[in-house]
Amino acid sequence: MASSVTDRQVRISRIAGRYLVFDIDDVVHIRRHHSICAVFTGTMPQNPTQNVFLGLPIELYAQEAKILVDKKAGYIVDDAADHLTQLKTMDESSRKEYIQSLKVQRKNAQLVFEEAKALSQARHQDKRKATSGSKKARETNNPAPPATVEQEDTLFDTQPVKPAPAAAAVAAVKDTMPALTPTTSSTLIVPQTSSTPVEVPSSFPLQAYLNSRGYFITPGLRFGGDFSVYPGDPLRYHAHYLATSYEWEKKIPLLDLLTSGRLGTAVKKSFLLGGQQPQDQVAESEKVAAGGDDVRVFCIEWAGM
Amino acid sequence: MSTTDGHLEALTKVVLNNLENQHDWTRLQTHAQPNLPRQLIYGLPPKRLYVHPDEQIEMIKAEKDRKEPIPQAPELEWVLPLHLAEKWSLSQFAAVFDAMDAAPPGSSAPEILGPDDPDAQWKLWRGAKRGKRLLLATVQDDSTVTYYWMFDGLVKPRQN
Repeated sequence: MASSVTDRQVRISRIAGRYLVFDIDDVVHIRRHHSICAVFTGTMPQNPTQNVFLGLPIELYAQEAKILVDKKAGYIVDDAADHLTQLKTMDESSRKEYIQSLKVQRKNAQLVFEEAKALSQARHQDKRKATSGSKKARETNNPAPPATVEQEDTLFDTQPVKPAPAAAAVAAVKDTMPALTPTTSSTLIVPQTSSTPVEVPSSFPLQAYLNSRGYFITPGLRFGGDFSVYPGDPLRYHAHYLATSYEWEKKIPLLDLLTSGRLGTAVKKSFLLGGQQPQDQVAESEKVAAGGDDVRVFCIEWAGM
Repeated sequence: MSTTDGHLEALTKVVLNNLENQHDWTRLQTHAQPNLPRQLIYGLPPKRLYVHPDEQIEMIKAEKDRKEPIPQAPELEWVLPLHLAEKWSLSQFAAVFDAMDAAPPGSSAPEILGPDDPDAQWKLWRGAKRGKRLLLATVQDDSTVTYYWMFDGLVKPRQN
């Protein structure tokens, strides 16, 4: 069981240069086990201009997609091409299997609908019963309504079961089966192991370094940096750092550092700057370059004087 | 003496002057080392400038069993004089941190009295656990000096 959790391969769909995850179980998995929460981007089909309360799919940074691929925890597929080839290369048996899986989904949906309907009917019936029961009580002054209630209950329970022929019942179910648009084509796709390469911006080493230490990273505009860095799930923790990645030899104007440091302190965070040290220099200073240890980070805070 | 050296000399003087007269620092010294890109300043602030959030937790734990609060003796701190017009790269900052010790010369860590000293944990933060930190003293042309902490590595923010 534990091994199946850690071995899970997350399917990352590349669509129009964006890295998306559609499967809710994958989303939960990478959030729980890989410290990646990413950004929800899905709107409701009826309201494409929606910009709050977004849902699936989530969009990963290219860096996050690469982190997952490098950890062998996920693979990337070019979704448009993959779907077409998948549909074209289907043989008879897998086609049948797919159609069957759609039917199962519809049947499940049907069951849910019926359950909901029965519940609401029961509630309705209860209300009517309550009013009629009190009326009767008033009319006859009879203090024993439980008997009638019981009777009505059994009546209601037996009501939906009609003594109709089995075949007719099946036909009726087929006719009323709801139309369903599956949210994922999880039954259609075949898991893959190969992955297309990911092009990542220069901030990748810093992000990988922070991720390997269990930090969650979200876009940082709201605090004035490249990334906001959380020590745990952003739902439970405040961000500790606002981070910006720099090239190792890039000359940074001091005013940039000081303003970011000042801003970070104003929002009770520390300004983190960091970048990857070139490999030859790491060797010179005899440092162990394992697990992103070739990344050097510094934190800046206002000194209060 | 080249002009850059003259510039650095003047910069250091401005910061020394500011620390001594505006912020009442004492025991101010300059510190030069062949592998340092420029000379550093160190000195003793009038009151303690930095408490790591984890030390704060240890002190709160230790203070439960004490009658009086734990004394906050000031520590010697490193200062890096800079001018606002400068541009520094990560490699330069890394060079400074690699060359310096965590505590300036002459620092004294509080003594830990045996293995069952109830104050051992917070004392460590003023000695062995002290991370490398320095004050970026940035001078602007109107001789304003601003001070920012810079820490080596991931150091979580203070609970201010």
